[in-house]
Amino acid sequence: MERTQLLEMFKAKASEVAERDFSALEEASVIADMGVDSLAMLEVVGEMERELDVQIPDDNLVGIETVSQLLDVVEKRVASA
Amino acid sequence: MATDEFHVKLYRKFQTFFQEAEKKRRWNPVEDIPWSDINPDAPENLALCAETFLGVESYLPDYIRGGLEAVRASSVAQRWFTANWGYEELKHSMALTEYLVRSGKRTEEQMFDFQAKLMEEEWERPFDTGRKMSIYGMFQEMATFVIYLRHEKLALEHSDKALATVYRLNARDEIAHARFYEDVTRVYLEEDRDGTVADLAHVAKRFAMPGVGLVPDYDKRIEVMRGEGKMDRDIFLKKVYFPLLKRLDVNRRELVAAAAAERKAAKAERDAAE
Repeated sequence: MERTQLLEMFKAKASEVAERDFSALEEASVIADMGVDSLAMLEVVGEMERELDVQIPDDNLVGIETVSQLLDVVEKRVASA
Repeated sequence: MATDEFHVKLYRKFQTFFQEAEKKRRWNPVEDIPWSDINPDAPENLALCAETFLGVESYLPDYIRGGLEAVRASSVAQRWFTANWGYEELKHSMALTEYLVRSGKRTEEQMFDFQAKLMEEEWERPFDTGRKMSIYGMFQEMATFVIYLRHEKLALEHSDKALATVYRLNARDEIAHARFYEDVTRVYLEEDRDGTVADLAHVAKRFAMPGVGLVPDYDKRIEVMRGEGKMDRDIFLKKVYFPLLKRLDVNRRELVAAAAAERKAAKAERDAAE
C-alpha cells in the first residue's frame, strides 16, 4: 500500500473516531496538537489495524509524536505481514 | 440482573482485600511518617506538587457520594469497599496536609483557605453505573499509584524522607484499590464479557483524572507535576492502560470493535432523531 493511501486512511479513521474533520492533516502534524488523546488515537490505530488486517504490538505504539512516525510503524507492519 | 455467583465472587474478593488491608496496610498519618526527616530547604515545586495531590484527594466527599450512588445497587462488596476506600483515602489528605504545614511550606490557615476554595467546585461522577465506575476506578487508582511513585522518587532526590514516606504509603493504598477494582472488573467480564468490554471501551475513551477543571490552576499545576515527576504523555499507556488490559486478558481489537459499535449506535440514534 502506498504511503499516501496510508495517510488518507489515517485521516479518515481519525475523523470518524473523533467526529472532526482531519482532512488537512499532514505527515508532519504533531499528534498532541490534534486535540485527540492517546486512548482515542489507539482507537484510530485499531481501526487501521482492522482494515489492513495487521496487529501492531503495544510497545510500538508508545513514544509516537507525529503522524509520520505513526505511519512508519503501520507501514513496517504491513510490509512484514 | 447479576447472579448469586457474581455477588459471592465479589464478596470473596472484598473479604481478601479487607483482611490484607487490616493485616498489612493500616497506617497512621501522624505517627507513621518520619516527620523529623522533612527537608525544609526542598524547593517550592515539591510543596506545590504535594498541594496538588492534596487538591485532587480533597474532593473525597464527592467521590464517596458519587461512588456509593453508583454501586449502591451493584453488590454489598462494592458498597463496603467504597466505605473502606473513603477511610483509606482520607489519610492521604491528612498526611499531605501534615507535610505541608510541618515543612513550613504552608500555614494551617492557608490549608483551611485552600480547602474552602476547593469546595467551591463539585466533582460529579463521570459514569452512571457501578460497572463503569469500577472500571474508571481501576484506571484512575492505577494512574494515581504510578504518579505517587514518581513523586516518591523525586522527594528522595530532594532528601525529603518524610514526604517520600507519605507518597509511598499513599501509593501502597492506591495499588491495593486498583487491584480490587481490577478483580471486580474481571468478575464483570466473567459475568458479561461483551457488555464489560463495551464499558471498558466507553470509559477508556472518556477517561480523565478527577481533578481536571476542579483544582485551582490545575493545568499549570499538572505541568509542574509532569516536569518534576519526569512523566511523558505516554506514561498512562505504558504503565496503566496496556498492563491492565493484559492482566484482564482483553485485547485492543475487542475494544476497537466495541468502540465502533458504540459510535454506530450513537449515529443511528442521531439519525433517528433528525
